[in-house]
Amino acid sequence: MRIQLLSSVAAFVTAASVFAGASGTLNNGQTSPGDVTGIALAPESAIQPDEAARLAKQASFGPTPELVDAIVAKKSAAAWLDEQFTLSQSTYVDVAEKNAPVNFCATLSGTEQTNCVREYFSAVPTQMRFYKNAIYGNDQLRQRVAFALSQIIVASEFEVHSTAGLATFNQILLGNAFGNYRDILKAVTLNPYMGDYLDMADSNKSQPNENYARELMQLFSVGTVLLNPDGTPQTDNTGATIATYSNTDVKEVARALTGWTYARLNGAALTDYNNRDLSKPMVMYASRYDTGAKTFLGKTVAANATQQASVDAVVDTMFNHPNTAPYICKRLIQQLTLANPTPAYVERVAAVFADNGAGVRGDLKAVVRAIYLDSEARTVSQLPGKVKEPVLLATSLARAIGYQTDGYAMVLRDAAMGQAAFRAPSVFNYYSYNFPLPQGEGVLSPVSKIITTSTTMARHNFLYDWTMSDTRPEYASLLPNVGSAPDWASWEALGTDDGKILDRINLVMLNGTMTSAQRQSLLTAMAQIKNATPALQTRKRAQMALYVVASSPLFQVDR
Amino acid sequence: MTVSRRELLRLTAGGSAIAALGQLGLSSALAADTSGYRAMVGVFLFGGNDAWNMVVPNDSRYADYAKQRGAGLALAQSSLVPLTGTAFGLHGAMAALKPAWDEGALSAVLNTGTLFAPLTKALYTSRPDLRPVNLMSHEDQQNQWQGMRTRATNNDGFMGRINDRAQAASLPPLISIAGSNLCLIGDRTAPLILPSSGSIVRNGYNPAATDAATKTRQDALNVFADASSYGAITDLTGKGMSSAYAQAVQANTIISSTTSAVDKSFVHPTTGAALTSDISKQLLRAARMIEARGSLGHAKQTFFVSQGGYDTHTNELASHNNLYADLANALAAFYNAMKALGLQDNVTAFTMSDFGRVFKANASGGSDHAWGSNHLVLGGALANGKVYGRYPDMTFGGNEDASNDGRWIPSIATEEYVGAIAQWYGVSQADLPYVFPNWSTWNAGGRGPVPLFG
Repeated sequence: MRIQLLSSVAAFVTAASVFAGASGTLNNGQTSPGDVTGIALAPESAIQPDEAARLAKQASFGPTPELVDAIVAKKSAAAWLDEQFTLSQSTYVDVAEKNAPVNFCATLSGTEQTNCVREYFSAVPTQMRFYKNAIYGNDQLRQRVAFALSQIIVASEFEVHSTAGLATFNQILLGNAFGNYRDILKAVTLNPYMGDYLDMADSNKSQPNENYARELMQLFSVGTVLLNPDGTPQTDNTGATIATYSNTDVKEVARALTGWTYARLNGAALTDYNNRDLSKPMVMYASRYDTGAKTFLGKTVAANATQQASVDAVVDTMFNHPNTAPYICKRLIQQLTLANPTPAYVERVAAVFADNGAGVRGDLKAVVRAIYLDSEARTVSQLPGKVKEPVLLATSLARAIGYQTDGYAMVLRDAAMGQAAFRAPSVFNYYSYNFPLPQGEGVLSPVSKIITTSTTMARHNFLYDWTMSDTRPEYASLLPNVGSAPDWASWEALGTDDGKILDRINLVMLNGTMTSAQRQSLLTAMAQIKNATPALQTRKRAQMALYVVASSPLFQVDR
Repeated sequence: MTVSRRELLRLTAGGSAIAALGQLGLSSALAADTSGYRAMVGVFLFGGNDAWNMVVPNDSRYADYAKQRGAGLALAQSSLVPLTGTAFGLHGAMAALKPAWDEGALSAVLNTGTLFAPLTKALYTSRPDLRPVNLMSHEDQQNQWQGMRTRATNNDGFMGRINDRAQAASLPPLISIAGSNLCLIGDRTAPLILPSSGSIVRNGYNPAATDAATKTRQDALNVFADASSYGAITDLTGKGMSSAYAQAVQANTIISSTTSAVDKSFVHPTTGAALTSDISKQLLRAARMIEARGSLGHAKQTFFVSQGGYDTHTNELASHNNLYADLANALAAFYNAMKALGLQDNVTAFTMSDFGRVFKANASGGSDHAWGSNHLVLGGALANGKVYGRYPDMTFGGNEDASNDGRWIPSIATEEYVGAIAQWYGVSQADLPYVFPNWSTWNAGGRGPVPLFG
């Protein structure tokens, strides 16, 4: 930890130098990050508001003035993270109670049926809870890590329509976000929503289904090629990559995972499709289980091992494979801090995955701490860049403005931007972790996969609509919920000093990086907005400035 | 001649990209082509199409087909749509393509897939270094089809590289209605990416505004749009946003027009109802951009469209009935639209997909990931009534099986298949190795482009 602090301080010197030119002109009454001497010598207690806002971009669903204050009050990133590790009020457990037989809504018609299907067989209740928690919840870090995990271990409502199933699956990720990765792999493997999504449910020894076996290895644990501890591919003497597993391994793992089916509602038979219970772990269907010996990745499960033992052998083999640490850690880093981590950063985090310092492998709390406290994450630099994905674009804007919401308004806008929450187009997520930045000469930019001519316009129009409009049709309530409303009053309260509006925007949207030229362009435009009602004039000026900053690449790409 | 992005940025500092390309003579390759307007339309079937049920042997081999696929996957022979004059039939849900076949505008290409080198079973077994890497992985095999490199990282794709050699225009002649994909990324060019439905209008932006509040707001937008000092990701993302805003105005006019001549073709072949599938909407938008080729100044156009849902690990027969009907209806409508424009001989559509699927059914009524597969090509320029390539020996574990359950080793490489279409399109001999990095392997020693056009 001591080494970490020293490197963070060193990073801060660099950071302060980068911003010395811009920050000296801010005149916003805050301590200037351009004060190199003060920061370089600062002890751990010196986290500044701009750096706190930058941490909040990485570790929450968007900075708010209150969150920045909270981080500053904790005096260090580490102390704030430690507080976050104790929080857990967000939950999907009650959403998972919307559990019903497949034909539950069949006797209804019209609006009643539409509402029934939305409540019991759609993503909407889980999406609304997700957005509401993301906007309000104090356990921001837990939610952010769970959201990252949901894009690494993907089970999508695009294919499986069960409110209870989707909520149950995501509760695994939310509840274990600071737990152990092995527990997640085990729970996911026996989760019925995943069982339906990737077809492990009802896989039969007569010709096992390979879908879950393959993607468990390729996407959730070891990946396709052998990796060095720093996440770079190992190569053979011809320079070629080396496959982690063969198709025979896929088949053997598939055999080991045979014989599971859904639990049933109301004590129904294990063959009753209508009464599948997607909120309970899968149960054994012994006659479909392949009792023969299986060998995969060099491990053998003896003949006549129990079904549970076979599952545990698969989970342990994948969890303990040396690839899993760098493979999963790199994806977590790409989700949380940087699109292009250096191999050294991946290696440092992967080492913590391998051993948290107390001999425990897969401790996500330690991994998350390592990801955020690494000097590479804390170094303020303009260069690395990470495109804001639509979900984070929506939540960051809503949190920057201040919203009352039941989450439904976000549900109505995310799909057009290319990322309907929990509805990835495939198990390969909304984007590939290796998607290249177009014309970027090998630089990765996963989120650029969902940046197109049309989504660029959808992002712009979302940002325009939610800043420039006093209210929107999508803010209407969806009974029995409350709808959404921006908190314009908090902006009106800033009064006639346009500088105060820009200070708030600069802090929560640009983590203090606004240049004097950018600030002047906004002041000039704000001065042209006039209204006889002072509060309305303040609001309109704030809306305009929010729009210009939000729609710019400087907000749409985090640095 | 190749120019890196960095060189181009240097050259374009203070000038337009088009001027810079002209300066470099880069517009020569395709612009000099005088063969008239041509378009290629790639239809990517995401998930890995089990095309062993799309094109089926309809002769004595049908018995082997039925036996090896098993009751879970075998189609009834009576359900097939015969490809008259050949030994094959199409899936029964694809009847909408029968007229195109009868007009000589449809071809099938058998057992095609990613290959690094020509392979026999013996070579496949003894020389892992000659296999494409990460076979049977969705992401890797999609990237290899789109990037055309089977043993190296793909950071760009064949359509993007064709676009690199195209004549610059205000809207790029490379258009996707299926999102951003590796296939579309060039070393120095970017595609136009349209939604399959809805308009693309930038709310609140009016460059003609004269009031001070709007003008100063737009001035501020311009100040904030300059991300040139913020690193490659922010800078290139910002430039992409500016480019999208500029392109959307012209593109929106075309996709929102109420006077298009192509829309009436996009109807169900028997009911006459307007088609509603996403693939039909994508192809309708492609047809509209083809209709507008003159005003766009496009001598060539390349399109990328897609249909998802082909990862049929379970209940494949039911899924295929819907997928293939949507695909065939959309392709037939597109062909009819081209006929309405008098362009059926100038436009060629072709399928691509991650991989084929295992011949032997799994116990879930589906099929798992495999390798070689069959493909369809559609257009009036094709030779009449042809099925190309060799249908594999269906013996499990036999001479064409990479496994023991029917994962056929391809006999035609993606380069030989797509390369044939690219040649017809007008990619010059000099540019083929740029577009297809492994071209030399597939244009020598008895290998070469599939002779699709006649």
